[in-house]
Amino acid sequence: MKCPRCDSEKVRIMTKSPVGDAWEIYVCDHCCYSWRSTENIQISEIFKLNDEKIANMGIIPPIPPLKK
Amino acid sequence: MTKVYKDLREFLATLEEEGQLVRIKEEVMPEPDIGAAGRAAANIENSPAILFEKVNGYNYSLVTNVHGSWRNHALMLGLAKDTPTKEQFFELNRRWDKFPVPPKILAREEALCKENVITENINLFDILPLYRINEQDGGFFLSKASVISGDPEFPEDLNKLNVGIYRMQVKDVDRLAIQPMPVHDIAIQLAKAEEKDEPLPVAIALGVNPLVTFMASTPVAYDQNEYEFVGALQDGVPCEIVKADTCDHLYVPAHAEVIIEGYIIPRKRFVEGPFGEFPGSYSGCRKQCEIQITRITHRTNPIFENLYIGMPWTETDYLVGLNTSIPLYKQIKATMPEVVAVNAMYTHGIGVIISTKVRYGGYGKGVAFRLLSTPHGMPYSKIVIIVDEYVDPFNLEQVMWALTTRVKPSKDVVVIPNCSGMVLDPSSNPAGMHDKLIIDATTPVAPEPNPRSCEMLVPSSATPKWEEILRQLQHAAQKK
Repeated sequence: MKCPRCDSEKVRIMTKSPVGDAWEIYVCDHCCYSWRSTENIQISEIFKLNDEKIANMGIIPPIPPLKK
Repeated sequence: MTKVYKDLREFLATLEEEGQLVRIKEEVMPEPDIGAAGRAAANIENSPAILFEKVNGYNYSLVTNVHGSWRNHALMLGLAKDTPTKEQFFELNRRWDKFPVPPKILAREEALCKENVITENINLFDILPLYRINEQDGGFFLSKASVISGDPEFPEDLNKLNVGIYRMQVKDVDRLAIQPMPVHDIAIQLAKAEEKDEPLPVAIALGVNPLVTFMASTPVAYDQNEYEFVGALQDGVPCEIVKADTCDHLYVPAHAEVIIEGYIIPRKRFVEGPFGEFPGSYSGCRKQCEIQITRITHRTNPIFENLYIGMPWTETDYLVGLNTSIPLYKQIKATMPEVVAVNAMYTHGIGVIISTKVRYGGYGKGVAFRLLSTPHGMPYSKIVIIVDEYVDPFNLEQVMWALTTRVKPSKDVVVIPNCSGMVLDPSSNPAGMHDKLIIDATTPVAPEPNPRSCEMLVPSSATPKWEEILRQLQHAAQKK
């Protein structure tokens, strides 16, 4: 299975429904996207991710310098 | 005596008695039903809270839109549900002055949030019916969680205990992302922990007394304890709290539905988002902090409380409308007593209307400058309208009247370029920088010239009597 957002194959089952066999939740360990097996996922082009976008993302909040 | 709610359940019972809570008894799908119903509730006037009794695949129930109308907001304050917004503003302002009311610290066995404990095989999905709120969200979010954290430098100082609401993405069964913006109190605490490469302990409360949520979303000063404000807003009745199980200096609402405990992992950031935000658009993806969960305590049959967020107005706007207005009012009024009321309800204070007496020429603009130098107003407020003291800033028809009859654009409309701005406002570019717009819709007073005199119409003294007659006749006609 591929991640619908970044096409990575680092996708795993995060969990299954606590009641019955209703659904599974998947998570992409590359871009952190998560979704449910019962969803019809259609990610807008603007929200698709690749390595370059991930590398250039803003960091909130900034990590402060270590105090000695 | 003011009606006080011990916990979320007592408030839900009152909402139901007042016709302000509806139950969905049929099973719903997590997507798209819950997010869609949240949006639908926001589209309806006087909308009720929605309790979903059965969500496909999950154990427990879920409630949304708890704060989602002025009626629910009035009931939260123990007022009659039809209390006008301006009256709610002044009642909040009255109770605000009772701060601080120290909280009541309960013994562990008295706190209902400790009924059940999970320390192994932690899985948020076992406890919470999680769902995607808006279609392009990057995952499942907690949108109404009160996060409790302390100051690592002064852990025992309860004044520096922070209770705040931050968006939280579920990253794994036992991991949550959190978004502390640099302007938030928790960012100060996190920086102190990260400078030493230490984890920052946090507790996360879900499903609490509605005034705890209200205060958690209020911009108060760093050294003001939110629980002491809850006691003030309860008209002097202390808020009941209890020590967290995993950290001696964190205290949580004693009767919360669910308490999640853990720590922010220091000096690491992970991809988060996007998330549909309060300006009505998505924030993009950024690298943000994550929380490792180490313990969950919860009431038996916990109710998961969450909110819909999107294009205003939604539950978010009701939740942060007056609690944004009151601190700004207090801060401005402290040095400008002529100010009558502050309406900072538009997109979390990006738009603000202030009514004031005008002591001398240029005073209206001075009031705007004062707003723009307050801790919240500086980054958030962008469009500021100043009206005369007799204009109700909560009545937009009156405000439009002031704009259309008092403003001479060439002298009363001012743009100040390149100021601080709100990051999530999509028109802020670069994010965090913006221009400020001031519209002074007050009547000119000396030494500002007012070349055309303006004789105001004065309503007949019999008008209130006739208002009452017409109201009664209309009420009788509606009963037929």
